[in-house]
Amino acid sequence: MSEQATRNSTTRRTVLQGAAALALASGPGTASAADSPGTVLITGASRGIGLEFAKRYAEDGWQVIATARDPKKAEALQALAKAHKNLRLETLDVTDIKAIDALAAKLKDVPIDVLLNNAGISGGAEKQKIGSIDYSVFDDVMHTNVLGPIKMAEAFTPHVAASKQKKIVSISSTEGSLTLISPRPDVNSIFYRASKSALNMSMINMAKALKDKGIIVTMQSPGLVSTDFVGSLRLPIMITPQQSVAMTMPIIARLTMEDTGKYYRHTGEVAPW
Amino acid sequence: MSDDITRRDALTASAGFTAMLGLGFWTEAAAADSAGTVLVTGASRGIGLEFVKQYAAKGYTVIATARDPAKAADLQALSKANPNIRLERLDVLDHASIDALAAKLKGTPIDILVNNAGIGGGGANQIFGKINYAVFDDVMKTNVEGPLKISEAFIEHVAASKQKKIMMVSSSQGSVASVRSPSLYFYRASKSALNMVTVNMALAVKDRGVIVGMVAPGATDTDFMVEVRGRIPLGKPEERTAGMIAQIDAFTMEKTGKFYEWNGEQIPW
Ligand SMILES: NC(=O)c1ccc[n+]([C@@H]2O[C@H](COP(=O)([O-])OP(=O)(O)OC[C@H]3O[C@@H](n4cnc5c(N)ncnc54)[C@H](OP(=O)(O)O)[C@@H]3O)[C@@H](O)[C@H]2O)c1
Ligand SMILES: NC(=O)c1ccc[n+]([C@@H]2O[C@H](COP(=O)([O-])OP(=O)(O)OC[C@H]3O[C@@H](n4cnc5c(N)ncnc54)[C@H](OP(=O)(O)O)[C@@H]3O)[C@@H](O)[C@H]2O)c1
Repeated sequence: MSEQATRNSTTRRTVLQGAAALALASGPGTASAADSPGTVLITGASRGIGLEFAKRYAEDGWQVIATARDPKKAEALQALAKAHKNLRLETLDVTDIKAIDALAAKLKDVPIDVLLNNAGISGGAEKQKIGSIDYSVFDDVMHTNVLGPIKMAEAFTPHVAASKQKKIVSISSTEGSLTLISPRPDVNSIFYRASKSALNMSMINMAKALKDKGIIVTMQSPGLVSTDFVGSLRLPIMITPQQSVAMTMPIIARLTMEDTGKYYRHTGEVAPW
Repeated sequence: MSDDITRRDALTASAGFTAMLGLGFWTEAAAADSAGTVLVTGASRGIGLEFVKQYAAKGYTVIATARDPAKAADLQALSKANPNIRLERLDVLDHASIDALAAKLKGTPIDILVNNAGIGGGGANQIFGKINYAVFDDVMKTNVEGPLKISEAFIEHVAASKQKKIMMVSSSQGSVASVRSPSLYFYRASKSALNMVTVNMALAVKDRGVIVGMVAPGATDTDFMVEVRGRIPLGKPEERTAGMIAQIDAFTMEKTGKFYEWNGEQIPW
């Protein structure tokens, strides 16, 4: 599950990382009101990238609605909630349409500046080998990575529309980029790749549908990040969730309506479809 | 179906008879002429039915599959008139039936596998603010999982053939770069996902000499388009299918994993 172009662009990445750090340092001055703390709702905040987003937004003074399938079991998230009064926990399985509607109703009148569709699953690479595909994981992958984000965007549009920043950001992957995948020799996680292509298409559609409401809809590829997601895989090009989120937050902060429908990498480059 | 079996047996018998007569030269010439075998999914109506008609007219042996062949009156009539058309029951959602058909056809080389069956999910079910999530699975399973499962199940049949082609009927609606206005959330997502599946399938079977590609008909006047008929220009199924067949003919290993409109334009991702 390597994130293609990063492989041979370590130098470029280092430079860009520097640039991102610079952007971070100059922070509010350049990005102005757009990145002053607001409210963020994060799906899949129990572990990995979602947990790190929750932590960083909380530290930056945002109101964080951290959602997880089972917050009670998410120890790190619990600890985070104890340490930050501005972080609240909500139970949410993104494949549960009724639960999404119930949470949207519960949070009625709460403006949400940034809706972060982060929850995602790979379905297990070993189950997706052509010749012995285990089709029983197809629905889970599609429901979690495609249906969930569409339903979240639909259900929380009133909350986002009522906010100042009005952003819906979905964590996609360069694994969903047909341009990057097609010249590659490796076949991997065919459902996962297809789900992220489908997610990109869904969010482009959403961007067109929500433009009139002033809502910015984008996709972010986090890089190849050392979370449970990649299992025991460790590669030199991998970054930590801390690095990924530190590079992604300034990109989200700077988004304007010009960006709607775009697919950004953590480096700030636009990823091809 | 029993009609079919008799006809098929008769054909096999006549081939054997020709061989017995020692007409080696003649049969060889006939084999070279006989374009090959095509399997089409969703052959009951629309573009699938047209694929069957046109491939049969070109001299291919066509294995025309449909969910319920007994109810597909046009397909029945077509197969009665043309001994090269063989009907088989196949629901692309039913993996057991896919495996069963692959087993039944074991040893039959398939030159061109046309994954045509597809559903739109209904425009009214996919309007922002009132999206009907109940149709999500049907759309994804019919348009993405089905073609993948069928390609996986029939890979040996295709690899054993001369032309070795697996073709997906995709749609320019699956082109992320081409979206201008919102509609058909699930259908569009399913065709983008199908394209990704196809690209991966192409990579996976390249070293077996199997070519995997995508073709698209453009807006075509079939039942698929009842909701927009009269409001946007629609092409004739005959013309659009002929165009796709020309694109399939022109597919070579250099083009594997690529996506062409019926008129030869390459569709952007
Ligand atoms: N890591 C990478 O290299 C990488 C690369 C590209 C893209 N991504 C994307 O980044 C996102 C986060 O990945 P990660 O690396 O942080 O993965 P991770 O460590 O495996 O965490 C996945 C998170 O998603 C949650 N989740 C899964 N199914 C859910 C559901 N039905 N409802 C609610 N939450 C659910 C998990 O919750 P539980 O604790 O309840 O399981 C967990 O919090 C995913 O969308 C992934 O596709 C990751
Ligand atoms: N028409 C267009 O403008 C257009 C444009 C772009 C792409 N396409 C694509 O072209 C393909 C054919 O479309 P069409 O216009 O011919 O549509 P159509 O007239 O609605 O025919 C659809 C065909 O798919 C079959 N089918 C549906 N679900 C099936 C299943 N589970 N198992 C087996 N067969 C199934 C139908 O069989 P039943 O008779 O049993 O229902 C029917 O034969 C589709 O993949 C579609 O996405 C069409």
